[in-house]
Amino acid sequence: MSAERYNRQIILKGFGEEAQQQLLKAKVLVIGAGGLGCPALQYLAAAGIGHIGIVDDDTISLSNLHRQILFTTADIGKLKVEVAAKRLQEMNTQIGIIRHPIRLQKNNILDIVSRYDYILDGTDNFESRYLINDACALLNKPLIFAAVSGFEGQLAIFNTPDHLTPSTNYRDLFPVPPDKGEIPNCAENGIIGVLPGIIGTMAAAETIKLIAKIGQPLTNKILNYNLLTQEQYTINISHGGDYTLPKTVDEFLNMNYQDTSEGPQGYIEIDASELVKLQQSESTILIDVREKHEVPVLDKQIYTQVPMSEFGAFLNKEFYQKHVVLICQHGIRSVAAAEALQEKYGDAKKIYSLKGGIVKWRDHFLRS
Amino acid sequence: MEIEIISFGKISELISNQKIDFDGIADTDNFKLHLEHQFPALKSMKYKLALNKNIVQENTQIINKATIAIMPPFSGG
Repeated sequence: MSAERYNRQIILKGFGEEAQQQLLKAKVLVIGAGGLGCPALQYLAAAGIGHIGIVDDDTISLSNLHRQILFTTADIGKLKVEVAAKRLQEMNTQIGIIRHPIRLQKNNILDIVSRYDYILDGTDNFESRYLINDACALLNKPLIFAAVSGFEGQLAIFNTPDHLTPSTNYRDLFPVPPDKGEIPNCAENGIIGVLPGIIGTMAAAETIKLIAKIGQPLTNKILNYNLLTQEQYTINISHGGDYTLPKTVDEFLNMNYQDTSEGPQGYIEIDASELVKLQQSESTILIDVREKHEVPVLDKQIYTQVPMSEFGAFLNKEFYQKHVVLICQHGIRSVAAAEALQEKYGDAKKIYSLKGGIVKWRDHFLRS
Repeated sequence: MEIEIISFGKISELISNQKIDFDGIADTDNFKLHLEHQFPALKSMKYKLALNKNIVQENTQIINKATIAIMPPFSGG
């Protein structure tokens, strides 16, 4: 190793050569190369974490760039994992970067997580978060949890005992995931770029503290950070017990993490070409579930507007069309609406949700 | 009895940070009932309480000047 590269942290009192060696030996898996993952990856790579794995199956889009700072305008359309790995390798040629351009699911996560010592969760949905939590609990891997909502962030370390408390996990806070649509995500709710920058960087700091055994990492604690007030509030986590955590691989594989690829969900996710086909049928109703203030405004002759805030009332009404296509900005609320309609009608109607929403098929909507 | 309420995320849109005088609320189960009565939207939301910075895992007695935080799950990244 080049001592020169890490000189400024090696000479730091309270860090030093021994801590640097621990970083170089460590294997860290960063799940999600997005708003949280990008800054976390940059600092972990620069600090000299010896092996860094990156998991993400997504490609870079223009609306990522205000917060996903490893990517440039020229990278739009490319795989996040590829661009991030190349960039990080250029930043630090002395470490190993491992690419995992896949979506983690029950059948692949245990294999990947078992190859690493520390897991950093920077994903953007509850399905992944519960999947990762349970896999880390099963394999006894320290989990650095980072998440954002609005102007606030949450940061915690799970599956790591301290001198007071045996290890806790995410289910000790929230035993089961919220219902779809209950907590809006960044794509739905918006996010200011610097917030995941701060929380992702703090997650890297916690990872480094944990590996180098310095300071007091947020073990069995959850920190709430508020960007607007610069206030932090730390809460001690204790064991909850009113939840099921898979104790064996078989139990894990039998859990339901609501992967869209598994289980009979009833409704169908479609793309714009299927939308066009369905649109030609007399017995199809196209429903825009966005709120009235949202743009672009769609032609109300074609798209019936039923905002999610009024969807409960709509569920009590009847309509004749047999095919129901639900549309929203990113294809997330439309899934919640599809689930509600599916529950009401079962096989009596065919329910569809436009995957990726208006943003993904912008050209289609601007044309029509 | 005075209780300070601190709320996070989406819940702070419903319940702002405030100090309130509560009478007849002796424990966290009671507090939760009172809260969900006053803010019915909470009933359908996932959240966790923390009493004086400790997560509430079972019914716990509340003493005067307590701080109760109300925290929803975040998933954004």
